[in-house]
Amino acid sequence: MREVAGYLPGLDPDSVAWRTLAFGRGGTDLEVAVPELTPAQVAALAERVRAHARSVLKTMPVAEVVTAVDAAVARLLDRDDPWRRRAERLLPLVTGYDAEMVRHGLTSYLKTFRKPELLRFLAEDFANPGVLDDFQPVPKGGFARAFGPDLLLHVWAGNVPGLPLWSLVCGLLVKAGGVGKVPSAEPLFAGWFARLLAEVEPRLAGCLAVVWWKGGDAEREAEWLRRADTVLAYGSTASLEALRARVPVTTRFLPYGHKISFALVSHAALDPHTVRATARGVAHDVARWDQQGCYSPHVVYVERGGGVDPRGFARHLAHELACQAIRFPRRALDPGDAGGVAAWRHAEEMQGVADPARELLADPAGAWAVAYADRPQPLAPCGLNRTVTVVAVDRLDDALPCVAPFRPLLQTAAVAAPPRELFRIAGLLGAAGVTRVCAPGAMAAPEAGWHHDGRFNLSDLVAMAEIDRGAELAADALAPYRD
Amino acid sequence: MDFRDRTVLVTGAGRGIGAAIARAFAAAGATVAVNYRQDADSAEAVAAACRAAGGDGWAVRADVTDPDAVRALVDAVAGETGRIDAVVNNAFRPYRFDPERRRTFTDTTWDDYRSQVDGAVHATYLVCRAALPVMLRHPGGSIVNMASDLVARPTVPYHDYTTAKAALIGFSRTLAADLGPLGIRVNCVAPGLVHPTDASRSTREEVREAIIAQTPLRRIATPDDVAGPVLFLASDRSRFMTGQTLYVDGGLVMG
Repeated sequence: MREVAGYLPGLDPDSVAWRTLAFGRGGTDLEVAVPELTPAQVAALAERVRAHARSVLKTMPVAEVVTAVDAAVARLLDRDDPWRRRAERLLPLVTGYDAEMVRHGLTSYLKTFRKPELLRFLAEDFANPGVLDDFQPVPKGGFARAFGPDLLLHVWAGNVPGLPLWSLVCGLLVKAGGVGKVPSAEPLFAGWFARLLAEVEPRLAGCLAVVWWKGGDAEREAEWLRRADTVLAYGSTASLEALRARVPVTTRFLPYGHKISFALVSHAALDPHTVRATARGVAHDVARWDQQGCYSPHVVYVERGGGVDPRGFARHLAHELACQAIRFPRRALDPGDAGGVAAWRHAEEMQGVADPARELLADPAGAWAVAYADRPQPLAPCGLNRTVTVVAVDRLDDALPCVAPFRPLLQTAAVAAPPRELFRIAGLLGAAGVTRVCAPGAMAAPEAGWHHDGRFNLSDLVAMAEIDRGAELAADALAPYRD
Repeated sequence: MDFRDRTVLVTGAGRGIGAAIARAFAAAGATVAVNYRQDADSAEAVAAACRAAGGDGWAVRADVTDPDAVRALVDAVAGETGRIDAVVNNAFRPYRFDPERRRTFTDTTWDDYRSQVDGAVHATYLVCRAALPVMLRHPGGSIVNMASDLVARPTVPYHDYTTAKAALIGFSRTLAADLGPLGIRVNCVAPGLVHPTDASRSTREEVREAIIAQTPLRRIATPDDVAGPVLFLASDRSRFMTGQTLYVDGGLVMG
């Protein structure tokens, strides 16, 4: 099978050089053609997107942009739609993720981009989303209007299906012309979305482009970096630092780096009845996308004093991971990932031998593993790919010193606790640098309009243009109707 | 369990649960007749998987509700290996397991019931009638009929389907009583919701989650989960069991 990635409005495909990326699982081979653009093509594409953003996107009311995105997302939610079927068929081949997980994950993700959720996005960041359409009165006096960049460059990373949609939609909502660079690990989804959007709203056809260059190809990258008004990038700390160094100083740079997430389980969530749902939720979070997301938990801090003790919770969690392994099998690991898991398991096994306070509960076939520690441990990255550490604590507060040293890296904390405890512990977590508290089972499904890594997704992208109150008064003095 | 030199006929084995059962028999050394009705490519792929798994397998087309076709099917199997040691009546009339679009009792016609009874009981009747003389050539034959845990617990009231499966259980017990003295055993395997299969494709995730929440083993069945108990009932390991129904639903139904 062969699939063409990217979306290059206005460029003749025959004039483009295509490189082939090879994927394939379970005996089915898939070749994906990705575009390698010349500097002249980059210039032409950038100019086209910029011009269309100015002449089309910026003149559309934001409500119409919302309607267009909603229509495209509705198509992707329809399991009989050709685009959706293509995604269900090809994304497992490209990413290796279990087909059922892809199907289930796509639906739960895409439904956060329906019209009501998009309106929520807007309301989160703008008290009056009308500022995206026209000058609006502001409390201090005068008027203000929000302008998105003409050319927003997205640099995506990783292989979690659909991830690029997040920033792509944010860019559209602030009426920014968008060019996205797809990662080699999942080069398809963003291009499909751009094509589908052009299908449902032809006016937007020229306002987006989806491109590719090989990671580390500084020459091609520079062509894009110098043309963008704003660069929004995902990736490892090292790759973002390298990128930051190459972004012109006048260009706005919004990095989303690697993060680490964890879970806290209060003793109240550990009676013989509630422990099932708690363990199930945590197992879901561990298994979803094989822990490749910034929101995936690495450590679960479990409070003593419940009907089921922390070691018992670890056993419940192990069984739920065994169920997940059958229902949503883990993808086949490449040697690097497999080595990471093996090294982590080996280290945990050795610790278990030396120290009766530690234990490793592991799938004999290697599909998952739960390490258990009977006393507080610092938050440490696990071996990924469905490996997790359960740490017993006397009180949830004892987890705080364990996570505090990792402040710049903290992101999501799942908390299973009664209401008063939830708010109390959320205050401590927020002060420690956690930017999102959610329920177990929801870590991989952030709600619409969440503030990714604590930032304002939309208002970070815009510049406010203000009309001083004084300018208004001065204009009054020049009005033809003045007395 | 060792099925080397044994011949097993699995009806409706071109996909889903039947395909998983066929592959499991082949992995235990059996020669498997992979019966199918429509999709030859899929059945050929299952037969190839049987050969790759260490046993033997070939695809045989037959509509098991057609008496002539069933006779030809059994003749073909007997002609190929000279014996039938186990029959797994797995084929059923296509049914859409969709709780939202299921027919209510008021909407269920007697033809709906009749169609399901034909698909479950008539087909099993025809295959058993045709296969019995061949099975009796060697001692220790076993018939395994696929029922459903919905008979014991109609989680979703699929009237026609569940009634037909209940009839199949009665049919199987009676046949067990009749054939016991001849050394042929008859048992049922009653799975819960099995996913993924084509029939369960339209069952929504929330229904699966609701079933999982009630299931002690905390998930729903896969086709491979069903194969183990079928092999057990087809093997000598269950030589003193007949007329039984084994529930394969993670403990949702006990008894």
